[in-house]
Amino acid sequence: MVLEATMICIDNSEWMRNGDYSPSRLQAQSDAVNLICGAKTQLNPENTVGILTMAGKRVRVLTTPTSDLGKILTCMHGLEMGGEMNLAAGIQVAQLALKHRQNKHQQQRIIVFAGSPVKYEKKALEMIGKKLKKNSVALDIVNFGEEEEGKPEKLEALLAAVNNNESSHVIHIPPGPNALSDVLISTPVFVGDGGSGFAAAASTAAGGGVDFDFGVDPNIDPELAIALRVSLEDERARQEAAAKRAAEESARREKGEEPSSSSPDANTVDSDKVRAAGTTEDAAEPMVILSY
Amino acid sequence: MASESASVIQRSQVDLLDFIDWSGVECLNQSTNHSLSNALKQGYREDDGLNLESDADEQLLIYIPFNQVVKLHSFFVKGPEEEGPKTVKLYSNREHMGFSNVNDFPPSDTVVLSPDNLKGKPAVLKYVKFQNVRSLAIFIEDNQSGSDITKVQKIALFGTT
Repeated sequence: MVLEATMICIDNSEWMRNGDYSPSRLQAQSDAVNLICGAKTQLNPENTVGILTMAGKRVRVLTTPTSDLGKILTCMHGLEMGGEMNLAAGIQVAQLALKHRQNKHQQQRIIVFAGSPVKYEKKALEMIGKKLKKNSVALDIVNFGEEEEGKPEKLEALLAAVNNNESSHVIHIPPGPNALSDVLISTPVFVGDGGSGFAAAASTAAGGGVDFDFGVDPNIDPELAIALRVSLEDERARQEAAAKRAAEESARREKGEEPSSSSPDANTVDSDKVRAAGTTEDAAEPMVILSY
Repeated sequence: MASESASVIQRSQVDLLDFIDWSGVECLNQSTNHSLSNALKQGYREDDGLNLESDADEQLLIYIPFNQVVKLHSFFVKGPEEEGPKTVKLYSNREHMGFSNVNDFPPSDTVVLSPDNLKGKPAVLKYVKFQNVRSLAIFIEDNQSGSDITKVQKIALFGTT
């Protein structure tokens, strides 16, 4: 559980009005940010997350790194779109905000949502990347939205300058049917080094292509998965035994019915009882017994 | 002069290696495979093949906390002739320094290392400035040849408690 302080840089430029990511690019970013905050705090309760916006008249810090999810959610409200994204200034302000974090033992990380064209040159971005690496700040770049010529190369160059031991990543997300946050969940931005229960569970819920019995990942909760499997097997064995007994009973009944026709009511009542027992056991099938 | 400094070392100064609080030792801009332990730790620092190397550029910022208050007398840096450190600034009792604020406060002492120092001559410090040292920040500003990577083979601190 890495102790980390994260600053998320949101792109709230005019380009974010576009609806190619549902419902709008800005809304998709908001959802992704909420998920990231939740995931980070779940990984380690002492993790802090801060938000700043990059576009408009100037770069604005909405909240400094805090572990209070409520504060983060409120400041995501009423975000205004406008102006152009200032990537360099955004990253530098984020670095400054991280420098003044309360708990100096936290690792520093910046997550940038780069949705609009990048007006800075590769050289300038590489200088910024080097400065981040020197101060041991990791950087995650989410490239989405506007596909401009040279933008992926610029961002890759920035990543190469920052990357120290594979702790930084760049993720390219083309517009598509899946929501931005769903695509992000399976990327290293969430999963980090070694995975988190939150991310794995969220990906199963989102309908990811992973197939677990009982909807429980054996990796997260092996005891629960085993207990569920054992109970289901017990239940099945019991039902099979009961069914076999019922079959034997009815077979004996049929043999018994021929010689003694004097008591057909008793027999039918008995076979009714057996059938009723069979149906109640069928109804009990979805019920699972957990024993610890 | 050289003999005087050599005898000064013997006069009740000890290697402060035992007083270093290893849990708080940090080094900014070090290369991942060539980390600070290669230069500080007993055994590693004797091996000239194992160096501390800088990463993005030639500067290094090393932070060493001590587990008790010490008096620092001199320090000894060993490095290769070309890429060994040149200008070294020491800051006493300044926590959590970054490259951006090294220039904000005056260093407790500045040492410009000569090739002799890199071979084995210890650098004597202004003893009066280091009477009450709880932590030490060593800022290596540049190296002998001006190359992009600074290499340090050994760092040893001498003083008393």
